[in-house]
Amino acid sequence: MKIRSYILKRLKQGRAPVNKATDNNLMQQVKDGNVEKMAILFERYHVMLYNFFLRLTSNRSISEDLVQDVFIRILKYRSSYKGQNKFIIWLYRIARNTHIDYLRKRKDEVSFGEQWDEVPSQEPTPPEKVEQAQEIVRLSQALAKLPLKKREVLILSRFQNLKYKEIAELLDCQIGTVKANIHRATKELGKAYFELSGGIAS
Amino acid sequence: MKCSQIKKRFSDFLTGEIDKAMRKEIEEHVTACGSCRDELESLSEIWTKLGVLPEEQPSDNVRTRFYAALEKYKQNLEKEKMRPNLGKLLDGWLERWAPRRPAFQFSLAVMLLAVGLAAGYFLHASLQRSGEIAQLRREVHQARQIAEVSLLRQESLSERLRGIDMTSRVEKSDEGTLEALLRFVSSDADINSRLAAIDALHLLPDYPLIRQEFVHSLSEQTSPLVEIALTLTHHIKNL
Repeated sequence: MKIRSYILKRLKQGRAPVNKATDNNLMQQVKDGNVEKMAILFERYHVMLYNFFLRLTSNRSISEDLVQDVFIRILKYRSSYKGQNKFIIWLYRIARNTHIDYLRKRKDEVSFGEQWDEVPSQEPTPPEKVEQAQEIVRLSQALAKLPLKKREVLILSRFQNLKYKEIAELLDCQIGTVKANIHRATKELGKAYFELSGGIAS
Repeated sequence: MKCSQIKKRFSDFLTGEIDKAMRKEIEEHVTACGSCRDELESLSEIWTKLGVLPEEQPSDNVRTRFYAALEKYKQNLEKEKMRPNLGKLLDGWLERWAPRRPAFQFSLAVMLLAVGLAAGYFLHASLQRSGEIAQLRREVHQARQIAEVSLLRQESLSERLRGIDMTSRVEKSDEGTLEALLRFVSSDADINSRLAAIDALHLLPDYPLIRQEFVHSLSEQTSPLVEIALTLTHHIKNL
């Protein structure tokens, strides 16, 4: 039994071997031509990025494409990496640009909000979870209604767990602005959610 | 604290970036203040509700595609290393010729600089000797003089004024233009062109010819304006 759980544990870790090198260190190596190390960074961050894009776009296949784009961009622009701030800030900066470029390209094709009907189901919903599934849909819809800047700041803080300081650095603004925007975005989201639930906003 | 100050801390309350004392202060405030309590409650409600949105795993596609892209990128990088490009070739060639020791490198640089300077000096000297530049200068000067004089001879008043204006911009006028201008002062029918010509001559340094002509024409002028202008030029004033 013990052996089995050990093997399972190893299998889970298998693809993401424990590596203690810091992100900045790894990225520096990638910059210097050891592009193999990019794999470690990918394993560390691709799920995080995927979920960032999923909250932003509410679309799984687009989010997967964007994740791919980000890592290709990193390879392409690896020589521009300076290593001054945290790697993760640099990563999010590239992710944001990738998303903005995608929106620009998509602008003429589909208006936002039409694409997120994909969200609800990954697996068939058991009856006791129907209500929760509906709530997920409503929340996603409400999020999609927020203007991009507010949606972004809310996602970064609530889901990506970035600190005020990191968000301010990433968005190039004051901490006070970040706080105010989180407050406003939450308020607006609550209103949108309430309206979608069939209530009348106060 | 006032409500507005408390509200500024609501985001801290939500995100948890807050110290215990501040949390306590907010909690105490909202038990007493109804409107703040309502707002914080609705904010907290939606904030907590967002936790329903699950963190998802991307499909295996993402991983497969990434490793394929990485592999391809590595191969391209290898190819690039193998292919000798022009820049590197040139570098290698120069490296073979350049001296290894810094002292020699330095003296080579100094030598090249000296050769460059010498070449520039001789080239310059030979140009001067052949007098091409001087010749060119003379030609340009002549061309300008012709333009000035021909403008001064125009029938139209405005053309003549333009000519006068042009001569006044030339630092050192020649005999030709000088005489043309002097002729204006004494014989042009229009007072404006006489005045303009006087102004132009005023800008020139002392010439005996100008003074002589001015004194002579002073006695013949009929317009008091022109007389005053003449007496005010330094050619007359300094008499």
